[in-house]
Amino acid sequence: MKILGVSAHYHDAAAALVVDGLPVAAVQEERLSRRKNDAAFPMGAIEWCLDQAGLRPEDLDAVVFYERPMLKFDRILTSALRAFPHSRRAFAHAMKNTLGEKAWVRGLITAQLGVRRDKILFTEHHQSHAAAAFLTAPTRRAAILTTDGVGEWATTTVGRGERPADGPTRIILDREVRFPHSLGMFYSTFTAYLGFAINEGEYKVMGLAAYGRPSMVDQVRKVLRRTPDGAFALDLDYFEFHTSVTRSFSRRFVDLFGPPRLAHEPIDLETAEGRRFADIAASAQQVLEEVLVDLTRRLKRETGLPDLCLGGGVALNGVANTRILAESGFERLFVPSAPGDAGSALGAALYADRIHFGNPDRDIPDHPFWGPELDEADLARLAGEDGLPLQILDEPALIDLSVEDLAHGRVVGWMDGALEFGPRALGHRSILTAPHDLAMRDRLNRDIKYREEFRPFAPVVPIEAADRFFVLPPGGARLARFMSGVFPVRAEWRERLAAVTHVDGTARVQVLERDMAPRLHDLLLAYGRRSGVPVLLNTSFNLAGEPIVNRVVEGYSTFRRSGIDVLVAGRSRIVKRAVAQAAPREEVA
Amino acid sequence: MRSLLSLVHWWVWRDARRRATNLLRFAEVEADGGRDIVRAAEQTRDPVLRKLFLVHALDEQRHAELFRERGRALMAQLPPGPDGGGRTQWLAPGERGLDDLRVEQERDGSLLAFLHLSEKTAARDFAHYVDVLGHDPATREVFEKVAHDEAFHMTYTHAQLLRVSPEGHGRLLWMARLRRLWSLYLRFAGALAGLIGAVILTLQYFILVPPFALLARRAQAREPLGWVAIPEQRNGALTRQY
Repeated sequence: MKILGVSAHYHDAAAALVVDGLPVAAVQEERLSRRKNDAAFPMGAIEWCLDQAGLRPEDLDAVVFYERPMLKFDRILTSALRAFPHSRRAFAHAMKNTLGEKAWVRGLITAQLGVRRDKILFTEHHQSHAAAAFLTAPTRRAAILTTDGVGEWATTTVGRGERPADGPTRIILDREVRFPHSLGMFYSTFTAYLGFAINEGEYKVMGLAAYGRPSMVDQVRKVLRRTPDGAFALDLDYFEFHTSVTRSFSRRFVDLFGPPRLAHEPIDLETAEGRRFADIAASAQQVLEEVLVDLTRRLKRETGLPDLCLGGGVALNGVANTRILAESGFERLFVPSAPGDAGSALGAALYADRIHFGNPDRDIPDHPFWGPELDEADLARLAGEDGLPLQILDEPALIDLSVEDLAHGRVVGWMDGALEFGPRALGHRSILTAPHDLAMRDRLNRDIKYREEFRPFAPVVPIEAADRFFVLPPGGARLARFMSGVFPVRAEWRERLAAVTHVDGTARVQVLERDMAPRLHDLLLAYGRRSGVPVLLNTSFNLAGEPIVNRVVEGYSTFRRSGIDVLVAGRSRIVKRAVAQAAPREEVA
Repeated sequence: MRSLLSLVHWWVWRDARRRATNLLRFAEVEADGGRDIVRAAEQTRDPVLRKLFLVHALDEQRHAELFRERGRALMAQLPPGPDGGGRTQWLAPGERGLDDLRVEQERDGSLLAFLHLSEKTAARDFAHYVDVLGHDPATREVFEKVAHDEAFHMTYTHAQLLRVSPEGHGRLLWMARLRRLWSLYLRFAGALAGLIGAVILTLQYFILVPPFALLARRAQAREPLGWVAIPEQRNGALTRQY
């Protein structure tokens, strides 16, 4: 069967194509449209997926949308009604926004793709998250927890999944917490309060938290309370996201935590105000972790299963994931490469395949590289036109030269194979540097990523060497496969890994198996032989405000506009003229 | 007309908070415009244009930083107060970026024509701002720097337009002018439609909604906090939208 999954209209639209039970293509619309967090109906992504498989829309057996739009409209309208008479603007906005386009998904898909109406299916938002987490994980039976801002009504669900070798695949979600009580909205409200963009700046809150002390957890527990049945509830007096289209938190929230940070104000951690913001971030982070750990402990007791699959946007919180792994009792924790809404396109397609159509289960290849492949010839053309010398190298020479570049403190733009599906650069569209000194971190922040100083960079390490440098608990390497956990850097290595060690001594490490990205794995080992430390700093190949690069030409334009010294695309390599002419700046210490 | 416009500009830039807010908004617009020009550089097959577009994009990025820094500096001198973003937006348009242009659907010639007119408008606007900012030399200096770059952008886009379309550049410029007018009309029509829609929906809200709001609130009062069981049948059919 040929099933297309689609997610759109909130943030991070995407399409994924499943053929005979296996994904053949999945990509976020932003990677093609070049508009960060593009939420528009993902026509570009759909066309690319179909082209990739050589299909026309009429060849599809089903198109599955990742949530039920009318049920979502029911939630939006009901929320506006409940907030009467304070929801006048929210009501008008919801009516125009939803009835203007978002409610008519069946018609939209029919109009855009020409697919028959009876081929269009709808999963529930959290079913899509659950399927994306469970059906892509290398486990046969697992407990499932999904948690995000909101889909239709559910904000958190728990259940279990089974995919026996000789029986039907099942995903049963047993119970849910309903809007407006939401861990995702709770965290997003603090994100907005701290002056970051909602749905984009949550990881900045997590990074900032490490600089603070959780001195305000009592206040945070006032706004997020536990219920007697072990769930949670927001005290809605502190929030406005359910009644307002412009503001997440109320005056009472400001009374409790003090004035919010304005988006344009820099965070200076040397000042009392900067430390207050860091303390608030630390407190919100700690309370979120406490709730998640408790939810998963209860789920462990209830199911007795060794594995937990985690889905929804909150699963991007690596610090919380690590605590869940350490304290919940689950032996293994699976977080897909795209646990958020983009990944739901794949989840929806897999759910329809296995559960709705009852097709036999198949193991999904355990990697995130479902996007467009590189076209190396593009780099030859671009370099030729701009008069930059291009080298096309065999594998060993490419690795040797790249190691030399990294050892001499150069910043390498690294493009290899197919694009990652999900928000993390996992070795195919990465910026790589030596991880040893803070000057490199500062240079990346200043000249390349143009971002806040407090944000950490992540390391990548081959699995064979991971334990030597990082304190990985049992199951830690698995969690770090898609950079979904944050683990302590061993004390004796923190100085040599200063550029990737966060202020609290941790790192959001990617543990790399050779099968997943052989060329990067070889580079890491070769760099280890050269420097004694087979670890590199790995950050996504993009500039601030832009999505991760996809095609070579985008990598090339990023290389030209930033402080990246060397661009490697497949086996092709170019260097900036200044770098080519300069003497080596510094050797590895 | 010109003196009336000067009066408007003077009024817009007179107030420090409004000035700071506008500068911060300009920073966003410049950054967005820069990203669109990057996209144009990535799309074109013309190496000369690619190089120029990349230089142009870096300029926009620098302008964004200049505006942001000055806006922040002004904001820092002010007592805490409401963020006045958006209130005077229509009075101080500055550059609009390329928000109504799908860069990937444009040919080089039409894109250059559009850019040329945008830069020309921006250069003219910024010259007006320089004229009325005598009381704030630091902000005035920012606009002078940016206006200098805009003059270069205006010149190179015109020169390149002549190169890539020696026969049709006049037609392309007129087409671009008409498109800008059309965009202006759409913006105006959209704002008017939004206003009418808001009035109608507000009337509906206060006339039709109250009984339903009462029912919704009563239902809410009966809803338990915490976990809610998911009925078995919800784990089933995918044909429903609700």
